[in-house]
Amino acid sequence: MLRHTLQRLLLVLPVMLGVLLIGFLLMQVVPTDPAQVRAGPTATQDVVQAIREELGLNQPLWKQFAIYIGRLAQGDLGVSIINNVPVTQELGATIGPTLELMLASLVWAIPLGMLLGTVGAYYRGSLLDRAIMAVSVGGVSLPVFFLGLGLIWLFGFKYPILPFTGRTGPLWTWEGLQGVILPALTLGGVFVGPVARMTRTSVLDELGADHVRTARAKGLGESTVLLRHTLRNALVPVVTLIGLQIGFLLGGAVVTESVFSWPGIGRLAVGAILSSDLPMAQGTIIVLSLGFILINLAVDVLYAVLDPRVRGA
Amino acid sequence: MMKRYALLLAGAAGAVLAAAPAVAQQKAPLSILRVIDADNYDPIRSTATAAAEVMYMLADTLVTVDFDMKTIKPGLAESWTVSPDGKTYSFKIRKDVKFCDGRPMTIDDVVYSLKRWTDPANKSPVSFRGGPVKDIRAEGDSTLIYELKEPYSDLLFQMALSFASVVDRNTVEKLGQNFGVQGFNGTGPYCWVKWTPRQELVMKKNPYYNWGPPIYKDPKPQIDEIVWKIIPESNTLMAAIQARQADVTYYMPYIALDTMQRIPGMTVQRQENYIYDIFMGFKVDKPVSSDKAIREAVNMAVDKQAIAKAIFFGKGQVLPSLLNPAVLDYDKESAAAMPKHDPAGAAKLLDEAGWKPGADGIREKDGKKATFTVYGIRNDVNPRISEAMQADLRKVGIDLKIQLWDATVAWGKLATQEFDAFYMAYPYVTATEALNLYFASRQVPTPNRMNWKDPKTDELLKAAATATDDKARKEAIGAVQMQLTDANVWVPLVSQPLWVVAGDRVEGVRAHGIYGAGLYKGLDIKLKR
Repeated sequence: MLRHTLQRLLLVLPVMLGVLLIGFLLMQVVPTDPAQVRAGPTATQDVVQAIREELGLNQPLWKQFAIYIGRLAQGDLGVSIINNVPVTQELGATIGPTLELMLASLVWAIPLGMLLGTVGAYYRGSLLDRAIMAVSVGGVSLPVFFLGLGLIWLFGFKYPILPFTGRTGPLWTWEGLQGVILPALTLGGVFVGPVARMTRTSVLDELGADHVRTARAKGLGESTVLLRHTLRNALVPVVTLIGLQIGFLLGGAVVTESVFSWPGIGRLAVGAILSSDLPMAQGTIIVLSLGFILINLAVDVLYAVLDPRVRGA
Repeated sequence: MMKRYALLLAGAAGAVLAAAPAVAQQKAPLSILRVIDADNYDPIRSTATAAAEVMYMLADTLVTVDFDMKTIKPGLAESWTVSPDGKTYSFKIRKDVKFCDGRPMTIDDVVYSLKRWTDPANKSPVSFRGGPVKDIRAEGDSTLIYELKEPYSDLLFQMALSFASVVDRNTVEKLGQNFGVQGFNGTGPYCWVKWTPRQELVMKKNPYYNWGPPIYKDPKPQIDEIVWKIIPESNTLMAAIQARQADVTYYMPYIALDTMQRIPGMTVQRQENYIYDIFMGFKVDKPVSSDKAIREAVNMAVDKQAIAKAIFFGKGQVLPSLLNPAVLDYDKESAAAMPKHDPAGAAKLLDEAGWKPGADGIREKDGKKATFTVYGIRNDVNPRISEAMQADLRKVGIDLKIQLWDATVAWGKLATQEFDAFYMAYPYVTATEALNLYFASRQVPTPNRMNWKDPKTDELLKAAATATDDKARKEAIGAVQMQLTDANVWVPLVSQPLWVVAGDRVEGVRAHGIYGAGLYKGLDIKLKR
């Protein structure tokens, strides 16, 4: 088990190096000029050149990358070229709200998705099953921004009962809880469908399995059969899906945070890219990629816990 | 199981409903919404209008511009005189001014701030606005002498811009590059509390402030705290104002203005003298756009009225000339000489100039097709403006190729020679400023992206800039307007309107709009509850 985890951890290093290189090169390939952006539309070329030198953008590309990696090795992600704030400081300030938002989204979306999937499978072919699947397909198809704007219209404007213009406080406060409801419904809303569908398929497979038939033949109650003998075994593919979906949730967070002005890392990434803030954009890429990689690592490990056959693979 | 979920849901709904009064009863601070943040809030380092709109509340300038955008009024300077040769300005500085930290402002602070703005060593992108400075010095404890190498007729208007704000030397030196990032100390009606980049900037009332400019009824600020919030998504911004989760904005999408006007208690007002114009400029040394007939035909073929109506939902105003009618030294004769919308006339003009329709309907001359490429920023309006122009020009046999760029890329692209024409939107305060900025040959390649190099223009621009009396300046800059109108170097399109939308909690809002700052100093604004 430990060996399996360590093997996976070692693989993180080359992947991260690849991410760093691609992230760096991508920001160079984009034909944007941070110096020009900072100088503004009325600046002369002398002014632009002075800013370029100040930012070190006149250095050769390899040198810029080498300096960047060297600093990174010391935990220094640089400072924002827009506001001189250390990148780590801004990342530190925004990662919390993003994690809050993800937590608030998952805490209702995963149980609901699993519940809907299980109910759908148990009552397979019924009207309830079809309704659940229709809602799931709708959830999968609905763009995040559309759902967000719809919720703003309904609960922010038509029935103005919830705030929607940013984080109103930490999650454990009443104000904070109110502020996170709409963004969490939006972000979690797209999560329910895939989880429900996968749970339904997986539970259906398990319901027809020999051990379930045996459990029933032994006279166990339906709830015991469903929860202990069916759902637990059906969870393996669902956990995998949840892991992958959490990775994609980071992508959804970028949109959700923009719609709800949520001060998270997704919005920071968008703002950094739009303002050609290269160190900040690279910093957000690193954190988001690292998040994705670590979630996948956790899924790998969890998979091994749930299914002993994987450990020896 | 199901019962438990139903109970949980009911409980959550109850909690949400119970929360409703908490949202509705929210009082201070005044919440101002905007769509984009500034790069920093150091007056000499940022050219962004997003910085200026905040700066005017945090700091003061020596003079101010009235709501008519033409009249200079006192600010930190009670009065001023100009020497007969136009080279020396003497400002009598107020003695009752204090910075936000309570320290009295001295003449040395004013000298320091203005030198900081104009000193080339500081590499400020806006230092040119200070003019050809010879010396800035104090005379006694309340007189500032601003001495120029040559007269500079725009000086007072430029001194009214936020770039010329007076700041506290101690704070600047203490914070260094982080001045206007981690802190600020000015003499404005509001004081810096906290800036969270790309999210919000919080400011509180300056307790000492009672020296507001005479363009306001009350020289004191009336609101305890102001929060400038960034809401990048315009639909969210719109809903926030409608749902009264915020108080004021002047970034409301044009499409929503009529709806806002119909909401009881909502105030929607326009600044008639707002100067933020959109135009298309031609590079005059490119194969097709170098032909004056083409440029004039484009001016005649484009239905600017339709653009103003369709793209700005009737809220835009057609620019009748190169410059905005509200600007100082606007030349009516040039406006009268501007080609009028006349597609048939445009076609005739092209025929006479030798541009004959080809097999595909696009005109040709000497084996050259009447086609040119326009660059611009991909913003809310440029895609639709360019498509409308493309359709209009196609009707007279000109092919417009459109290439719009994301804002991160656009400024770099607009500094190249790759294109034939470009779209631009810009704020300005005087005709002399605008035309010197864009048409002086020393400004090639940016911001003189037209590559317009004309000795006569340079001579007239210099004459206007160095004029010592209003009449001479008006004549010189009027002549430039006529020359450029005749050359059809620009296609003036629309004056982008400024609309301030305020909720029913707010009173006393009056749209100003200097350099995009809709609320200017924010004085006279009060909260009803």
